[in-house]
Amino acid sequence: MNKNKKTHFLTTILSIALIGHVEAASDNMHQLYQDNCASCHGSDHGGYLAPALDKETLKGRSPTALRTLIMTGSFETLMPPFYGKLSDDQIRAMVKHLQSTPKLPNPAWTIDDMKASLQVYVKDESTLPEQPQYAIDDMDDLIGVAARGKYGRGSGSKAVFINSKTHQVVGEIPTGTAAHIIDFNPANPRWAYVKTDTAEIFKVDLYSMKAVRSIKTGFNGPGMGVSRDGKYIMAGSFVPHNAVILDADTLEPLKTFELEGIDPDGNFVSSDSGMIIGTPYADIFAIALENAGQVWIVDLKDGFPVTKIKNVGRHLHDAFLTHKGRKLMVASYDDSIVAAIDLAERKLIKKLPAGCVPHVGGGAAVKVDGRVLGFGTNFGTCDKTVVSVWDLDTMEVIKQIPVSGGTESPAAHANAPYVAVDIISKDRRARTIQLIDKKTLEVVKTLDVGGHAYFPEYSADGKFLYVSAGYSGDEVVVYDAFSLKKVTSIPMESPAGIFSHGRVKYMTRGLSPDEME
Amino acid sequence: MNKLLCSLLFLVWMPFVQAANIYAGKMQAQAVCSQCHGIRNPSADAPFPPLAGRDRAYLEQSLKQYRDKTRVSEIMNAFAGSLSAKDIDNITAYYARLKP
Repeated sequence: MNKNKKTHFLTTILSIALIGHVEAASDNMHQLYQDNCASCHGSDHGGYLAPALDKETLKGRSPTALRTLIMTGSFETLMPPFYGKLSDDQIRAMVKHLQSTPKLPNPAWTIDDMKASLQVYVKDESTLPEQPQYAIDDMDDLIGVAARGKYGRGSGSKAVFINSKTHQVVGEIPTGTAAHIIDFNPANPRWAYVKTDTAEIFKVDLYSMKAVRSIKTGFNGPGMGVSRDGKYIMAGSFVPHNAVILDADTLEPLKTFELEGIDPDGNFVSSDSGMIIGTPYADIFAIALENAGQVWIVDLKDGFPVTKIKNVGRHLHDAFLTHKGRKLMVASYDDSIVAAIDLAERKLIKKLPAGCVPHVGGGAAVKVDGRVLGFGTNFGTCDKTVVSVWDLDTMEVIKQIPVSGGTESPAAHANAPYVAVDIISKDRRARTIQLIDKKTLEVVKTLDVGGHAYFPEYSADGKFLYVSAGYSGDEVVVYDAFSLKKVTSIPMESPAGIFSHGRVKYMTRGLSPDEME
Repeated sequence: MNKLLCSLLFLVWMPFVQAANIYAGKMQAQAVCSQCHGIRNPSADAPFPPLAGRDRAYLEQSLKQYRDKTRVSEIMNAFAGSLSAKDIDNITAYYARLKP
């Protein structure tokens, strides 16, 4: 009895000490969250690539189950295991922190914050070499892979550049947090721009394979585009709701835009930035306001004036160009359409059916028998999993090709016989990509790539198909574009988006550079 | 003599190799083990040991110890606890053959 009392007393003391300890620690929990969770779950706890983690969304969830999930990670997702990386106390305290923290208000990130974040790694760019410091026939042969790194940050997070003729890695740019988007300068082959999950943009010299500058444009959001003259970059964020035009040379911010407007249902909303694209057609940027359902066209002249196209769709996301960059095909999640926009007339042409929750990725368009056909992938969150094919001249649906699951990115090349789509449905199918014959518009082959296979991309000569075996697959797999035999694989941590330098020549994947002239 | 030894060793080794299903091991390794240990390498930032190319007998012994809880690890005891002898055979055959 006495012993029991003693134990009880001791436990109480210990509990008090422990609670004190945990509360003191909870001040640090915000930082721990920012350092380990925020790049995927959002610095405001509101979700990004991964679900929102706050008081509301985690209501009623078992703390033990959450702790287990953090320890082991979540299979078939990007969630890594934090066992051994965070201590048991930290994981327990994090669960408590997440279940008691509301979604935070949208933090400000002003033009002054951006200016202050500008880093210069190479002061005098005239010291950089005149030629690539590695063997390559043509800079278009470069392929950039956004390697996420297992933890979405750390030493595995980098942009990896590969010579797509020899499949050798010719350069790696560490990015701190997961690289997400790689864009190339259309006017000068030596510059690339890499955007990370935490909205830093790196200006990369592809000749020396060095980052020369970087700037933080927000907290997250993938939107980034480069103007046709290579002079401007526009970037947009989910957090906060703004976009910025940068000088592509110095990365200095020139003008910011608050993203807000009246959505198709008549509500005034503040909006995430969707895709941003420069076009070979004109000196403009087009930007999709996700929640406001508007596409804005920004003229690259004094004051950067904006033309707003309203009622484009409900929850816009990504897009691709056609007709020499005059027409823009914008995916709209919630009403499952792709909206065709005329950038010359600055108006909506038509809304086309696009499967369920369209995600066009970089898009694909091919010329077959005199017709220009666009291919539309979609998450396929309904019974019907199809890839839509549109005639881009008449803007009619030609066919909806049945595929084995949801898809998020099509790859095509003028010289390659197949359009590749990545199956992303969360089971064994996620290991595969399917190939659609350009002429018959039928699926002719399924490749078991491994990992979570996504973001297929052809080399600039159309001879090889690159695919990320992402998540735990940890390699990029290369196939012969004709025989579909595996050629080689290139190891890297959690590879995701693949971007061919050739894109600057053919604008949209699948079109021939000749059609651009 | 050496030849004889080789042949004998080969004969002893053969059934062991044939018994394991590398493909089944690969599917399990890619779906589960690689989450922490990676396929060829764990993440440079992760505290988990690499498994590719490790001695098969060692891998098998470890998994069995984790399964029996004679070797204690909160996580490994949970994972290995549900593995059959056949699973262990397949997984260790896959990882042992893999070049790191």
